[in-house]
Amino acid sequence: MNLELGNIFIKDVKFGEDTKVENGTLIVNKEELISLISEDEHLKSVDVELAKPGDSIRITPVKDVIEPRVKVDGPGGIFPGVLSKVDTVGTGKTNVLKGAAVVTTGKIVGFQEGIIDMTGPGADYTPFSKLNNVVLICEPKDDLKQHEHEKAVRMAGLKAARYFGEVAKDIKPDEVKSYESLPLLKSVEKYPELPKVAYVQMLQSQGLLHDTYVYGVDAKKTLSTLIGPTEIMDGAIISGNCVSACDKNTTYHHLNNPVIHDLFDKHGKEFNFVGMIITNENVYLADKERSSNWAAKLAEYLGVDGVIISQEGFGNPDTDLIMNCKKIEEKGIKTVIVTDEYAGRDGASQPLADADPKANAVVTGGNANEVIKLPPMDKIIGHIEPVDSIAGGFDGSLEKDGSIVVELQAITGATNELGFNKLSAKGY
Amino acid sequence: MKEIIITNNPLVKEELEKIIEVEYYNTDYMEILKKVRDRIHKGHKLLTHPLSGSVKPNETPYKSIMVSMDKGDLDTDSLITIENSIHTAKKFIEDLKTPDWSEEILFDFQTIDLTLIKNAIK
Repeated sequence: MNLELGNIFIKDVKFGEDTKVENGTLIVNKEELISLISEDEHLKSVDVELAKPGDSIRITPVKDVIEPRVKVDGPGGIFPGVLSKVDTVGTGKTNVLKGAAVVTTGKIVGFQEGIIDMTGPGADYTPFSKLNNVVLICEPKDDLKQHEHEKAVRMAGLKAARYFGEVAKDIKPDEVKSYESLPLLKSVEKYPELPKVAYVQMLQSQGLLHDTYVYGVDAKKTLSTLIGPTEIMDGAIISGNCVSACDKNTTYHHLNNPVIHDLFDKHGKEFNFVGMIITNENVYLADKERSSNWAAKLAEYLGVDGVIISQEGFGNPDTDLIMNCKKIEEKGIKTVIVTDEYAGRDGASQPLADADPKANAVVTGGNANEVIKLPPMDKIIGHIEPVDSIAGGFDGSLEKDGSIVVELQAITGATNELGFNKLSAKGY
Repeated sequence: MKEIIITNNPLVKEELEKIIEVEYYNTDYMEILKKVRDRIHKGHKLLTHPLSGSVKPNETPYKSIMVSMDKGDLDTDSLITIENSIHTAKKFIEDLKTPDWSEEILFDFQTIDLTLIKNAIK
């Protein structure tokens, strides 16, 4: 399974007559985009705004962030099972508008979360402040139920990302990166001297605003399974998860999963990256037992020496994380877990809701309870009212001058549990 | 296995009591965790994770947890999970109390809690 990612660097975004890429600028035909997204009968109105690095703009509440991509060569299309047929993706060539993103905003519930500041101290905590963002503001028809509202905004973001991706199909990329995934036995044969490593990715799968889809299938209805890491780069996993802004994985995170990219970087040099397992995080405890049993069984079957396990979300996924870690360690396989912390505002408390002595190699994405003051911005895209009721915010979070005092958990991607952020901690 | 849902969410009572045993209490989040802990000491088994959902314990006022109707010997795994959950919830609530939400937001929290527990009904 070989995939070439062709990155087309986007350095600016602006409105214009035709949607296209010109000298590194993404030009957006606003009316055409609005009419595409407005096709959804559940939406009353759609508007589009642009937010560039350095702009005095606050986007909130953020639902999802999506990177525009397009299949240039090879089977299937982007977001298989959702926008394209369910062909197996992950081979051939895919072009990427690197540096651009679609951001969706819309108040699905009254306590909707997620802030992206394009400048100021808050911008340092979110990777999305460095992108040229096309922001979709989707307002629902009156009395639209939350489930349908969530789906409408989720699909709007994916459709817009595909729309921009299409214009990149015939462009010669600025940079091409190749990712090679061999069948297990061939991989072992090719690098017999290197330790074998796999990646176990845990997917949020609990219910409304807590869901993830794999080839269009609701992850809570899946058993732990094997997936090619390059399939993820073509959008095999998408996010329907928009609670816990700091440590939810947006679709952008999935497409650019840094664990996968780092494993590929060292593949064939320091270790042999032989495969990837995805497993869910359900509410029912017997589901957690079953899924972690299967993740451990698959890791053992692959015959690996070590695995990296990444988590998604707060609270009960800590139990899935520890179950996965413990059961895989019990198979004689070393583990490293990637998580984040809710260690209290002073950072001194036990950070996870579960623990085990076998979880002795941990990468943290930072403490989500840490408090930050975000100064006012000239422009708000979305709805500012939920900030007073955002996770990590509180009644009175929003000050009269427009500044906000919040915990880091309010900022989209601040303590990401794939490590797609800058916060961490080191032990000496 | 027969199950009981212990909840302070009126929407869970309204929507689910026809299909499953629901014990409703007009109380707060922490009290629901404690009621479940007491049940575990009496030999009921914990069936859903007490910290279901990524909505924080000092954010949502609602909690619904499923335990077994049958009683047996004390299940230590259940006990460890509920005690860890109480410890985690306390950490949040001590730092910051749950705000007084508007009716509209309360209904959203009820809806989220309902979908989380509904997905656990087999």
